[in-house]
Amino acid sequence: TIFSTHWLMAWMGLEINTLAVIPMMTYPNNMRNTESAIKYFLMQATASMIIMFAIIYNSWMTNQWTLFQVSDNLAITLMTLALAMKLGLAPFHFWVPEVTQGIPLMSGMILLTWQKIAPTSIMFQISPSMNMNILITLAILSTMLGGWGGLNQTHLRKILAYSSIAHMGWMTIIVMINPSLTILNLIIYIITTLTTFLSLNFTSMTKINMLSNTWNKSTSITIILLLTLLSLGGLPPLTGFMPKWLIIQELATTNNITIATLLALSALLNLFFYMRLIYVSTLTIFPSNNSSKFQWFHQPTK
Amino acid sequence: MNNLINSTLLMSIMLLTLPIMLNLIYPYKTDKFPQYCKNMIKMSFLTSLAPMLMFMYQGLESTVTNWQWFSIASMPINMSFKLDYFSIIFIPIALYVTWSILEFSMWYMHSDPNIHRFFKYLIMFLFTMIILVSANNLIQLFIGWEGVGIMSFLLIGWWYGRTDANTAALQAVLYNRIGDIGFILSMAWLMINNNSWDLQHIFMTDMNTLALMGLIIAATGKSAQFGLHPWLPSAMEGPTPVSALLHSSTMVVAGIFLLIRFYPMTKNNPTILTMAMCLGAITTLFTAICAITQNDIKKIVAFSTSSQLGLMMVTIGLNQPHLAFLHICTHAFFKAMLFMCSGSIIHSLNDEQDIRKMGGLLPILPITTSALTVGSLALMGTPFLAGFYSKDSIIEAMNTSYVNSWALLMTMVATSLTAMYSMRIIYFALLNQPRFLPLSPLNENHPNLINPILRLAIGSIFAGYILTMNMPPMYITPTTMPMSTKLSALIVTIMGLLLALELNALTNKLPLKNVIHTHNFSNMLGYFTHLFHRSYPMANLHLGQHIATMLIDLNWFEKTGPKGQANLHSHLSSSITSLQKGMIKTYFLSFIISIIMVMLII
Repeated sequence: TIFSTHWLMAWMGLEINTLAVIPMMTYPNNMRNTESAIKYFLMQATASMIIMFAIIYNSWMTNQWTLFQVSDNLAITLMTLALAMKLGLAPFHFWVPEVTQGIPLMSGMILLTWQKIAPTSIMFQISPSMNMNILITLAILSTMLGGWGGLNQTHLRKILAYSSIAHMGWMTIIVMINPSLTILNLIIYIITTLTTFLSLNFTSMTKINMLSNTWNKSTSITIILLLTLLSLGGLPPLTGFMPKWLIIQELATTNNITIATLLALSALLNLFFYMRLIYVSTLTIFPSNNSSKFQWFHQPTK
Repeated sequence: MNNLINSTLLMSIMLLTLPIMLNLIYPYKTDKFPQYCKNMIKMSFLTSLAPMLMFMYQGLESTVTNWQWFSIASMPINMSFKLDYFSIIFIPIALYVTWSILEFSMWYMHSDPNIHRFFKYLIMFLFTMIILVSANNLIQLFIGWEGVGIMSFLLIGWWYGRTDANTAALQAVLYNRIGDIGFILSMAWLMINNNSWDLQHIFMTDMNTLALMGLIIAATGKSAQFGLHPWLPSAMEGPTPVSALLHSSTMVVAGIFLLIRFYPMTKNNPTILTMAMCLGAITTLFTAICAITQNDIKKIVAFSTSSQLGLMMVTIGLNQPHLAFLHICTHAFFKAMLFMCSGSIIHSLNDEQDIRKMGGLLPILPITTSALTVGSLALMGTPFLAGFYSKDSIIEAMNTSYVNSWALLMTMVATSLTAMYSMRIIYFALLNQPRFLPLSPLNENHPNLINPILRLAIGSIFAGYILTMNMPPMYITPTTMPMSTKLSALIVTIMGLLLALELNALTNKLPLKNVIHTHNFSNMLGYFTHLFHRSYPMANLHLGQHIATMLIDLNWFEKTGPKGQANLHSHLSSSITSLQKGMIKTYFLSFIISIIMVMLII
């Protein structure tokens, strides 16, 4: 998908991607995984369908299949909305928390990271002809919903789902102004999310109160989680701050200060629930009885 | 002649200070101190008759400037006395009345251990009052003004063990103070614009409405016009001689006197004239209404004073300051006498002040009774008694000039109400059967009681004639008017009398009716005191408390800060997460609606 210039090839790539990921999601083969997989499939299929419609409409109108020349207004709007569905931007975000919650941690990781690359690359390539109004609406809604939705969660996978919604919002806002920043944000987001997921997987934690035992099981994970979560939140001097800073700078120089302010304030909400995770795992030690101490000596039984 | 008038008047003023100095020089207690005071005042009165006769004979006025006290940046403050038409006539009258009152209080306060101090207070009061009326510059007038205020405070609170007396004294001082704000406003304006507080300088130039307003506010405070009037009925907590001297003849006329002094200024300013007239009309009507249902004999007389003060203010508003002055002089006589008669009644009935517990005193206290009747008739303006010359002239002048007909109507109604409440006193206190206990020490045998009352009775009867015939005419009397207008005051008064007779006779002949609200309004002073002393400050304090705690503390500091934010965000997040119910159909539906909306817009 990344390298194609013909629309049909791009669409084929998206479809193969979807179809391949579905079995990965249903690996332990219980009801919950299946349900999430079906939800995911339905969403992605609808989105691909709309993309196909946009592609054909565009070729009907402009008689060409080049990836980066989508000239027709209707086509570009439909394309944007469908890509938003694929990425999980608001108001198409409803599937992200449920799907992420239902599947095991590793699959969730792939869902949130690898699956974002393909639609983002398409967005990157059609970015010059996109409609800024739609993008602004999508982005602001995403950051806000991602922020407020994440406040009420106790399951870690849902928290990471809402964080992905919010970060997608940050990425879409800048795609028309300076698309390379989108890619930068994506890369840094992928790195930090991978780190988070892998460290959570190492200690197989899925809830917040499970986090409270991290200092006991493996203290290095504690520190890693601390730094990673703070970076996701976008605190300087950690790396996560860089994309946010550059995005805000780009927005300010193009005189979009209100949007920049709204995005920054919504990022505060994100930071709050990261801080909550850090509070549970690193900053405080939850009460535990003496028999469960020194767990880092032993191998985890799995 | 010049020397004579100056020296005699200053002598009479100086004689007043002697009793007080006697106490400083000769500290041995003597029983005869009240006697000394009374004799001194008698001397002072006789001495002050000389300037008055000279003035009447020759029209001689003078201004005495003695001594430079200090100077404020090119404005010298002198001690100077202005002996003109007003002060020369007022001083003998004030001294005459005070002489009678001092003699009366020798009988009234006989059993009081602090009688010496009482007399000193009275003399100091008189001294400051005379400073007030003879002042040639405003600072001296202000010294007198404040002096009478302070002495009023000390004298009203004479029986300081009684809470009501203390409250009343404080009330008097506070209301006077509010009036003083107006006075100081005028003084400041004059200092800025005229650079002088001397009356001679001021009368050369004009004063604008603001400065004259200040004088009206001062008069409202000192002379208990409507708005600053509650202190006068409360001041009846003091002993009867105090009420007789201060709050009938001398102190309360100080405000009116100030306005009379400034008559060259007010006669050119129709706004001030109208304001004075309307204020006076409201005052006279309101207090007369309040007087007709009071049950305390001293309060009825106090309201009567207040009503007459309103009448004087109306006269000033008519641009007739000389008539107002005449009314001040005649009013002093019969009002002081009324107070003294009520004092005689009160003391005789063993300190009973409620008229519902008096009655049938006509055969028992003949001199008091006849004096009371004469005084009431003079108050009502019976032809050819003292009050007639001033009051009737005022009403005639009012009826024949281009004035506010509302003020006119109010004054006429108040005149009939005057007759009503006077009749009320006479009926309840003097007529019918006694309603007091059988064993009361009723007598009026003491010469200290009888002589003053008789003296003032003679004054009440003849003073009007004497003053009118001998004072140089300064105003134009209306010479022709229709018969009905000429008789209007008389008709209104007689109607009031008959009505009062009838109504009062109803009280013990017909069955009792239910209490109607008008009676409550009149009895409780129109609820003025309740509103302004209690409700209004309570509302203010509540407002302050609410602003401090609810508005600032609770709202601005808490809700817009931390608590509001926490509430907002938790509410939003819970509503957003509760949208996710897990039903794909709903999700798809929302997606389709979003897509359609975007399609429609783009």
